Amino acid sequence: MPTQLRKGATTWEVVESEETHYQSSADWDGSSPLLMQCDEEPSRDTANAAGIAIEFPSFVDGRALSIAVLLRTRFGYTGELRAMGATHEDIVHYLVRCGFDVIDVAKNRLPERYLALIDPYSAHYQGSAIQPEQSFQRISRGVNA
Amino acid sequence: MYTYDDFDRTFVTERVAHYREQTERYLAGELAEDEFLQLRLRNGLYIQRLAPMLRVAVPYGNLSSVQLRMLAKIAREYDRGYGHLSTRQNIQFNWPELAEVPDILQDLASVDMHAIQTSGSCIRNVTTDEFAGAAFDEAIDPRPYCELIRQWSTAHPEFDWLPRKFKIAVTGAKEDRAAIAVHDIGLQVTRAPSGSAQFDFFVGGGLGRTPVIGALIGQNVPVQHVLSYLEAIMRVYNRYGRRDNKYKARIKILVRAMGAELFRKKVEQEWHFLKEGSGTVTAEEIARLQSHFIDPDFAAAQDLDFDDLRLQHPKFSRWLAQNVFAHKQPGYASVTLSTKVTGIPPGDVTDKQMDSVAQWSEEFGYGEICISHEQNFVLPHVAQSSLFALWQAACANGLGEANKGQLTDMICCPGGDYCSLANAKSIPVAEAIQRRFDDEDYLHDLGELDVNISGCMNACGHHHVGHIGILGVDKKGSEFYQISVGGHSGHSGEQAALGQILGPSFARDEVPDIIEKILNVYTNNRYSGESFLATFRRIGIDPFKEHVYANAA
Ligand code: HEM
Ligand code: SF4
Repeated sequence: MPTQLRKGATTWEVVESEETHYQSSADWDGSSPLLMQCDEEPSRDTANAAGIAIEFPSFVDGRALSIAVLLRTRFGYTGELRAMGATHEDIVHYLVRCGFDVIDVAKNRLPERYLALIDPYSAHYQGSAIQPEQSFQRISRGVNA
Repeated sequence: MYTYDDFDRTFVTERVAHYREQTERYLAGELAEDEFLQLRLRNGLYIQRLAPMLRVAVPYGNLSSVQLRMLAKIAREYDRGYGHLSTRQNIQFNWPELAEVPDILQDLASVDMHAIQTSGSCIRNVTTDEFAGAAFDEAIDPRPYCELIRQWSTAHPEFDWLPRKFKIAVTGAKEDRAAIAVHDIGLQVTRAPSGSAQFDFFVGGGLGRTPVIGALIGQNVPVQHVLSYLEAIMRVYNRYGRRDNKYKARIKILVRAMGAELFRKKVEQEWHFLKEGSGTVTAEEIARLQSHFIDPDFAAAQDLDFDDLRLQHPKFSRWLAQNVFAHKQPGYASVTLSTKVTGIPPGDVTDKQMDSVAQWSEEFGYGEICISHEQNFVLPHVAQSSLFALWQAACANGLGEANKGQLTDMICCPGGDYCSLANAKSIPVAEAIQRRFDDEDYLHDLGELDVNISGCMNACGHHHVGHIGILGVDKKGSEFYQISVGGHSGHSGEQAALGQILGPSFARDEVPDIIEKILNVYTNNRYSGESFLATFRRIGIDPFKEHVYANAA
């Protein structure tokens, strides 16, 4: 049973979940949720899946972040998007901003740390999958006097 | 220069708190070495051969006098009284305690500075022309766009875990003083017929083991699309750049493997979706950023000829010719304060020197300072009537050397004295060359000459683009030096080029002799007034090879 962070209506919480049965991209026929690897191509088709998980081979591998952004912003995917594998508490805020809403807690790591590091910053310069606007479109920063 | 608002300040303060918490977790044993490594690198902290090294971000080299005084204080309180100006316009401290780094970052934050993304596989500090906003040959001031990119690339949700480090340089002048051809992305800003800014994107340049000149990927990209175009490039790189071999992970390898045509196609496909999206830069934001870079209140003045002073003070005359650069405003000049003094590692400055430069900037230059990629200080706006006083003060503080652009103004990496990756030492080589060539008239006669030294193939000293490049190599366990000729970083209106290797390498004590032989080939072959590079391009490498290896057999 994986320990996960799940995004609820208003807050994130730590839950113990049932194992999900996934099909790999090669086998995927739409009948099960899809498990993607970092080197695979997301598409309009993929976005019809009833759940997508992306495997992190290492927490320093940022490819899944781009896949998540594409699924959310290009292909209109609104279902569950799960980060699996070698996640880490210190990448949680990136995962959140790129549109993941389920984050597996990696083996031997502390779920409460993950939860505490959901959003260490209140100010973000760029837009993201969950907040498309750039800082300069969101807030008025005035002109230097 | 750019000044923080509450938004910037909130972010940097929260980042310090975050890093403090990460350091505490590491010290408590909760983060393994390789996990903490990734976090500390993104906050500027390397662990080096002798001690940790903290690289502080100086955005596109710009500093206020208040900030420079803080750097002096940090050098005094946390370091051994000096700092090191880097070839990417930053400053490094070599002896901070790991546990004290959060305190240093807090001190930096108090003057609106940080060390974010100065190392690690992420987008690094943006660099530019050290005379930006002052140069006579500038079409467009690049700094508002550097700041735009700085903000956009800071803690980017998608692009902080790239295959490898990523360096962006921007220039807005005719002469490229930012070496944009050898960066992951080099941006040339020009003025579109409409009057607004537009950008050429050169992608995949770089030095290191595989030196490459960047390919022109995007041309005349209008200013409102500069972030979406960047995003397109970054996404293609983040997804397809190699991650299996760190020596093949830079974007230059991807561009080469795909070919520039296909790479451009991928980028344009991606950009097509992004182009009119939320990355579009608003006119208000450009106006806001530009408002931070308006000219200081220049006084009406005439250019001075200094005829009498030149006659009385030949050294001052030489300094004027070498270290004083033409300003867009009549009666003003940009001044290079050289750190290249024989016996001192290039780029090293003491806390006292930093305090002095801060004071001169207030007295003579509107409180603004720039760090150049040649590892010198620049005061961008000095009234010509103050030049003599500034020169005297600089001489009294070891910053008055009249050698900018000359043989002794070398770029040099820390090398084997400090760096665990080195094949050979580089600082003693620089010093031996400075000692050999100490005749000011000879140096002046040689004219512009870039000598660049790296202690290994990582090329921190940019040896490939030195007119003369020196590279430390390991030969059966002892330190040898490979010498190349004819490289160029792209300044002075010349095309950037990579140097050609002369031949077999040399022992350290032979290096000054070899340099002398190379210079003899130049002086014997040059036409009157012809530069080293022009002579090299005319006669080719063979005469150099022949003379250098003539008696070797
Ligand atoms: C002291 C220890 C240092 C270490 C261990 C180190 C390590 C490295 C490594 C491994 C690379 C190659 C990266 C690659 O090709 O992907 C590199 C490149 C570079 N380093 Fe350093 N460096 C050090 C100090 C410095 C200093 C002091 C400077 C500035 C004076 C510097 C400036 C650069 C630059 C500009 C490059 C980029 C070359 C390129 O375009 O590929 N480094 N460094
Ligand atoms: S070039 Fe090599 S020796 Fe010099 S600082 Fe870089 S990694 Fe170290």
